[in-house]
Amino acid sequence: MPLVNNKVGDDCTVGTDKALADGKALVDSLIKVVACYRHLASCVGSCTDSLQLRDELRQTREKAQNLAVSICQHLTSHLRDKSLPEEQRKEMELLWVAFSSGLELLHVDMCKVFSMGDIFSLANSASLVQTGLQGGGSEVAARALSLPDLNQARAPEAGLESQERSTMEQEISQIDHMIDDMEMKVNVLRWMVEPHGPQYADPLSSTDSASLALLSVDEEQPGHQPQSQHSHMVVFVVLFAVVLVATTLSVCVVFFS
Amino acid sequence: KMTINTLAKGGWYREQMTCFRKMEKVIVAMQDPDMGMKMRNQRLLITVIPHAMTGRDVIDWLIQKYNICEEEALHVGGMLVRYGYIYPLKEPRSLVLRADETPYRFQTPYFWTSTRWPASELDYAIYLAKKNIRKQGELMEYEKERYSLLHKRINHTWDFVVMQAREQLRASKQRRKADRIVLECQEQAYWLINRPPVRSLTLHYSAVLYHTVLSCVLRHCTNLHFIHIESCRRALGRNRVKSSICLEGFVKFSEQYQNHDPIMQGCLPSNPWISDDTAHWTMNSEIVPVPTRLRVERWSFSFMELLNDPIGRREFMTYLEKEFSAENLCFWQACEDIRHGESSKIIQKVEDVYKNFLAPGAARWVNIDSKTMDKTLEGIKHPHRFVMDDAQLHIYFLMKKMNKSNKFQKYVNWKKL
Repeated sequence: MPLVNNKVGDDCTVGTDKALADGKALVDSLIKVVACYRHLASCVGSCTDSLQLRDELRQTREKAQNLAVSICQHLTSHLRDKSLPEEQRKEMELLWVAFSSGLELLHVDMCKVFSMGDIFSLANSASLVQTGLQGGGSEVAARALSLPDLNQARAPEAGLESQERSTMEQEISQIDHMIDDMEMKVNVLRWMVEPHGPQYADPLSSTDSASLALLSVDEEQPGHQPQSQHSHMVVFVVLFAVVLVATTLSVCVVFFS
Repeated sequence: KMTINTLAKGGWYREQMTCFRKMEKVIVAMQDPDMGMKMRNQRLLITVIPHAMTGRDVIDWLIQKYNICEEEALHVGGMLVRYGYIYPLKEPRSLVLRADETPYRFQTPYFWTSTRWPASELDYAIYLAKKNIRKQGELMEYEKERYSLLHKRINHTWDFVVMQAREQLRASKQRRKADRIVLECQEQAYWLINRPPVRSLTLHYSAVLYHTVLSCVLRHCTNLHFIHIESCRRALGRNRVKSSICLEGFVKFSEQYQNHDPIMQGCLPSNPWISDDTAHWTMNSEIVPVPTRLRVERWSFSFMELLNDPIGRREFMTYLEKEFSAENLCFWQACEDIRHGESSKIIQKVEDVYKNFLAPGAARWVNIDSKTMDKTLEGIKHPHRFVMDDAQLHIYFLMKKMNKSNKFQKYVNWKKL
């Protein structure tokens, strides 16, 4: 793998800051996609299993893999650059550790989906386990793929199942190789990495649940917040005006009666 | 019935897997739309969740399908619950099958026990983080302890744990409420089995628990870790022999020595204990002018026999002197002396051996390969009883080769006559 070091070395810290931000965005994306994949994977073999679910799994998996490949290239090239300043390196290592954990989860889930595909073939739907679930996972898949709505019109073909299985075997071994490769190329000392966050995380804020119903593309969120803040300001000003009018009126009433 | 008593995962693991697969077949049979379980609805306040069944339903179905008695059905059903294929809805921590109106539900295949990827610490940490984020203070005491422990152990990836927990929660918020409840119950049931509250061996025999305990112990004590690695390395280096081959060797040995065994063959001229004639002992004493025929025959059995017999050793020495390789046997004898001699004299003896046999330009220099020589010279700096072992073994094999050579065999045969 060619080292992309000359360009990075010549950049000032602004360049590496951008690289860091890019890396962080990619890793955040991967974490989201891995979570969605896990969610969809837990439905395989249950009564909500269908061709559509399998197709959604495939699309989510492809997205996860693309992200993984780009993150791998991005982080490997930066971490192998010896001129990276110490602080940036620490941040990159944090991203690295998060990336490898995410990859681990993805790998396990892919293996599970593959082996369950063996046991539960959609051709024999009488054997699907009745787990009490009623809805499909389309919204979750949409969240993973950052799409407003999955293209329902495109009905997945039946032949896709066997094709997907053989692709899956290849993809699983590809992820395997990636994990091995990573460990060989970059030496991150895990015991030196310190996380940022606290041990106990805060509960999900209400804005999170509000934004869930809508698109969850990362670029959208910063745009969202100023908008809601803006509307809050307007409401506040209107209320203040109303209160002001009310007090002046009452003062007048008191004054003139 | 199942116990954790062997490190070897092979046979016992296979046995477990077969049991799980059988249980899974039962579960799949229960899904049959015509002949399967009768499903009911679970009513929670305003939500209705389908696919529930009572314990009584399960027992009755098992009795009817497999033509067994109630006791056996209770046992089989109990196993299904204990290994997480069915989970209770009212009291999630009580993993027993009650033959009454207690509701149960099927676990999703993703969480089946036989999916060969054991629950990892990362997974457990994410689950606990999720539980904590969902409702602060909902973690039980033992869960809080484990959470802190995990926080220490996989501290480097803690940001990931928290972020993944949040993302998983956000993903599940996309589902309707009924589905969310089911998903939470499924996950809770899975973890109650894979990380049971009380770490007692009676709850769950499985590779998972064993590995958890073992990895716990190994991680906490780095010393134990090294000891474990060392013992594994030594175990790998040991020779393994099939028991059939061992027994064959034993039989061969017995056949070979049968004629030489005084109890089996009788001893000539007569048994001293019976006849009071000590001729037998005199003839077989350590140094005699003429060794008995049987004795000389034994020399041909193995090289060790020859060396251990004083007369044999003497004969061999004579032969070596003729070949100008006597120093080898002298060296070997000196090493034996060090190994079996007095502790106080060891240092002096090692010095002598070095002066006579190993030092460059020594009078009776022995030919040892460079690697062994280096190792021995290193060891001589801190002499102990077994410091010469490697060199002695090397010379032993050298002499053994010479013993095997035809010349010496002819010599021995001539002596036999």
